[in-house]
Order: sequence, then structure tokens, then C-alpha cells
Amino acid sequence: MRFPKPRRVTLYILLVFFAFLFLLPLWTCITTSFKPVHDVIYTTPVELPLSPTAEPLITALNIMQRPLLNSFTFTISAMILSCLLGSINGYILTKIRFRGSDTVFLFFSIGIFIPYQAVLVPLVLTMSKLGLFNHIEGLILTHTAYGIPITTLLFRNFYGVIPNSLIMAAKTDGAGTWTIYRRIVLPLSLLPFVVAAVFQFTSIWNDFLFGVALARGSEAQPASVALANLRGTTEFQWNVQMAGTLWYALPVLVIFFVLGKYLMRGYMAGAVKG
Amino acid sequence: MVSVAIRNLTKTYGTTAAIKDLNLEIKDGEFFIFLGPSGCGKTTTLLCIAGLLKPDKGEVWLGNELVTSSERDVYVTPQKREVAMMFQDYAIYPHMTVFNNIAFPLEVRGEDKSEIVKRVTATANLLGLSQLLDRKPRQLSGGQRQRVALGRAIVRKPKVFLLDEPLANLDAKLRVKTRTDLKKLQRELGVTTVYVTHDQVEAMTMADRIMVQRDGVTEQIGTPEELYNHPANVFVAGFIGSPEMNFTDCTLIEEGARLWLDAREFKTPVPTQVAPKLESYVGEDLIMGIRPEDLYERKSVKGSTQKNALRMTVDIIEPVGPYLLLHLRKGRCSLVARVKNTTARVGQEVDIEMDPSKMHIFDKKTAKAII
Repeated sequence: MRFPKPRRVTLYILLVFFAFLFLLPLWTCITTSFKPVHDVIYTTPVELPLSPTAEPLITALNIMQRPLLNSFTFTISAMILSCLLGSINGYILTKIRFRGSDTVFLFFSIGIFIPYQAVLVPLVLTMSKLGLFNHIEGLILTHTAYGIPITTLLFRNFYGVIPNSLIMAAKTDGAGTWTIYRRIVLPLSLLPFVVAAVFQFTSIWNDFLFGVALARGSEAQPASVALANLRGTTEFQWNVQMAGTLWYALPVLVIFFVLGKYLMRGYMAGAVKG
Repeated sequence: MVSVAIRNLTKTYGTTAAIKDLNLEIKDGEFFIFLGPSGCGKTTTLLCIAGLLKPDKGEVWLGNELVTSSERDVYVTPQKREVAMMFQDYAIYPHMTVFNNIAFPLEVRGEDKSEIVKRVTATANLLGLSQLLDRKPRQLSGGQRQRVALGRAIVRKPKVFLLDEPLANLDAKLRVKTRTDLKKLQRELGVTTVYVTHDQVEAMTMADRIMVQRDGVTEQIGTPEELYNHPANVFVAGFIGSPEMNFTDCTLIEEGARLWLDAREFKTPVPTQVAPKLESYVGEDLIMGIRPEDLYERKSVKGSTQKNALRMTVDIIEPVGPYLLLHLRKGRCSLVARVKNTTARVGQEVDIEMDPSKMHIFDKKTAKAII
């Protein structure tokens, strides 16, 4: 799209304005993280610190260290598991197929639309019965299960584009179902894996509800819950809270910077397929 | 190397039958071609032989082994049939090098590493791919991809080759060359080959025998010569040969103790040697067929139309290198004649004669050949 010059200038001004607007919270988060308590009170959040200090960041990291580690553990585990299972599901549902595979897929799709709140009570009860309440394993299991529908949908759409002749050729070449997956389908799945992984990482990392329901205050407490607790009970330590937020947001930001390119391509691929 | 037998094969998609009660014997080492327009059930039949599709009814035999039978509940998976298939889009694995593509069937069968290298190298040499073994498919031309697919099929020495329109995606020049190469390769390897195409020239030039299919039904099975010289019905007669056979509606009449084909614009006597076969059709509507190369221009005669000759107007003259195609018209009757040369110009009239022994006559009701 090429606009005439004056319109282009207006467009850029608008874009810069909105970019600025959306980056403002991140900016205040960064500035406040480097302010001692005195600066927080005597400067506006947008202003730079008068006497910059890394103190709030260190304090926040000390408190958040264990929860961040917890979050990393269950996020990465659940991300890998749900992507892998989603990929296998997508392969079976598109390339192998069986009687009723469309019905099975329908149930997977329904899974996407079940709100978290609806399953909280049965979820907590089930996890207690399994002895996984207040355990990282419980969070891994829950997030994996909750991730499978969306990853299945994503991989199914992507595998719809892989020509069936490729699978048929592999069959006549002598490869079984599992060999075809491992040798043909999996190596062709880099793009959907990146998309699914980023999607799963952010949604699991950002989750608060399952974390608070399944592991609040325990050793296994996730970073999202710990962050909420940073607020304190008697006084508001804005700088420490902001520092905690920064630590918490960092992994997701890094991922988007590194993999954003693939993510756009992946979304496009899905969009064109319909 | 085995024979392939198909008994009462039926496959239905929804309500449309892709194959209806197909029976077929393909001999050991034969180059057998399924020919027909798209959507006639050729590929479905091929997939049933490969085991990639389960038929609704019927049996498939590879040699003495029953590999598919819905009645007896036998189904050997494609992995266990010693059948190699080549697909129209080649289906070469995009993430593997040429070497790995060709080696794949050997690897999954657990062959020795050294044996794999030996056989892949030999196959690559045979197909002129030795310089390309490290390339990825996207770095190859269409013809090279086609050869990789072929290499992957022949490297494991299967008992049967199944080829689904392997030349359809090549340009015209390469297709002609590959046709010869493929035929030569099949002779050398001696592997029973089933080949699907909608291109009658491909079928005629390569096949030992051809099966013409339409709408899931077999129209005729025979050698290229049989199909060309003795087509069983109007469909086969029209499908095989280029330019197409000329068809004219006519009525069989008896006049002066002879049988005549009356096509309104002209009348031609039925050759005496075939007359007995036609006697019962007197008064019936028939279709007369004559190939363009069996029509001649009569030049020496001046003046009125000669006996058996038909005076027609030249509509178009198409030069096709070694010969000319004359598009001729008279009333509702139009014909194409293939001649070596002509002095006629567009718009002029010429006298056309036919070789009565090359005439094909079909029953209009059944479209089946009478002679």
C-alpha cells in the first residue's frame, strides 16, 4: 500500500503516537524499578530516577527467585509436552484418521472454549486426590491438559497443508505410522512448533488462576502468584513491585523479540489455510 | 517380479462409484497402462493395488499372495507389499537430500549402511543423479525431482511399480524424452509396471497393454494396436488417436442387393467381406467411424463427383510438419483428413475417398463396435 505523501506523514505520526502510548507502561515499569523509595514519592512515574539504584531489582529477585524457577520449570515442561502431544494429535487426526476422528476433533475444539473458572473446583479436588496439590507436577499436568486442545487445532491446520502423497509415499516405502511421524512429519513441523511453543509459553507463564488455585503460598508457587504477593500487606513498595514485574515480564519479552518473525509467519500460514 | 490380479473390485465414495466391479490380470513383467479421462477411477485402482485404499468389495492378488480381500477379511498393509509407488507430485521428502530420499526405503527396512550407500550410488548413476546427491529437492528442476522419485521407487527392487501420471508435470520436450527413458528402464529391470495416465500418446507409445477406463467402468483392454485398429466402442475409438477419429451418423439401407451406409450427404457401400455381420442391422441407425489417415484426396479426376468419393469444402488447412490436416465440411457432415500434400486452398472443393476396409461401424444405441 502506497499512500500519497501527506497521508503517509499523518500515518507515521499516528503510529509513533500509539507505539509511544503502548510502551508507556513498560517505560514507567523500568524507571520505577531503578528508583529508591524517596524518588518514587517525589517524581512522576514517567520521569527518570534522581539517584538510580539496582536495590529494588535485587530485593525483588531475592523474593521472586524460587517462584520464577518454579514458573520456568512447569512452563517449559508443559509447553514441550502440550506441543508434542498436540503435534501427534494433529498428525493422527489429519493423516492417519480413523472412524470417528472428526468427532474426536470436535471434542478437542470444545476443550478450547471451556473457561478456567468452570473447572477450578473439580481440578483442585482431582489434584488433591492425586497428591499433586501444591506440587509442580500438578501444574505441569494441568497446563499440559489445558494446552492440548489449542495445540491440536494448530497442528491439525498446519498438517492439513502437508500433501497426503508424502504420507502415502512413506507408507509404500515401508515406514510405519510412528516412523512416518518421526522421519517425515516432525522434521517438517518447525514452524508450527515455534508458533505453538511461543503461544503455550506465554499463556502458561502468564497464568494466575491455576497457580493461585493449585499452589498458593507453597514451595511450588508460580511467579505470577508471588508477584501479586509482592504488593505487601501494610505498605505499597512500588519500586519493588515494578522490579518484580520486570523480572516476570522479561522471559516473554525476550521470546517475542527472538521469535516474533516466525510467529507472524506462523499466524499467516494458519490464516491463509483458514 | 509378479503378476497382478484384480477380481470384482468395487470402490464407492459417498454415492459415486469410483470403480465398478473391475476384473483384470496383469502379466509378470508387463508394462500395463490405465488410460482414461480424469476422475475415471484410474488412480483409485492404483491405490487399491498399493494397499493405500481399502476397496468396498473384491480382491487384489500379487502373484500367489492374496493381499486384499474384503470378503475374506485379508488386508496386507502397503508397508508389507513389495510395491513401489510414484506420485504425480513426486512426493519427495522436502527436508531430505537426494541421497536420503533415495535411501529412505532402504533405511526403514533396516538395510546395512554399506549396502545402502552401494545401492543408492548405483541408482543415482543409472538415473544421472550422481552429481546431485547432496542437494535438497527445492534446488532441483522438475525433471530432476521426477528422477529422484523414480530412484526412490527402483532402489529397493520392488516386485511391482505403480506410477501415477509421472510425466504430467514435465514440459512437453522433457516428457517425450522421459517416456523413452522410462520404457527402456522398465525393459531393463523387467518389473511389472502399472502406469496411470490420461494422455493417450503416452499410453500408446509405452504400454504392452492398455486398459481404457471411463466412470469406473472398463471400456476395453488390449494392446495399443488392438485399441487403435479394433476399438470396442465409440468412446475408445474417439479417445485413442490424434487427431480424433471422424464419426458420422448414418443409416444402413439395402439397395440393389447391396448394403449401403446412408449419411444423407453421401452414401458409401459396405465392403462385401463385412456385409454378413451387418445384415441384421438394415434400417437401423449406426455410427460410422474413419480415422483421418484413412481418408484420401482424389486428384486425378475432373468434373463430377466420382463413385465412393465425397465432394467437400476445405475449411481450414493445418500443417503439422510431415503432413497436413484438412478440415472438411459438407452440410452437417464435417471430417478431418490427414494428407501428405494438397493443392487445394481454403474454400475450394476437393474429392475425398476413404479406404472401406479401415471403416469402423458402431451401433448407435449401444455405442458398441459391430466391425
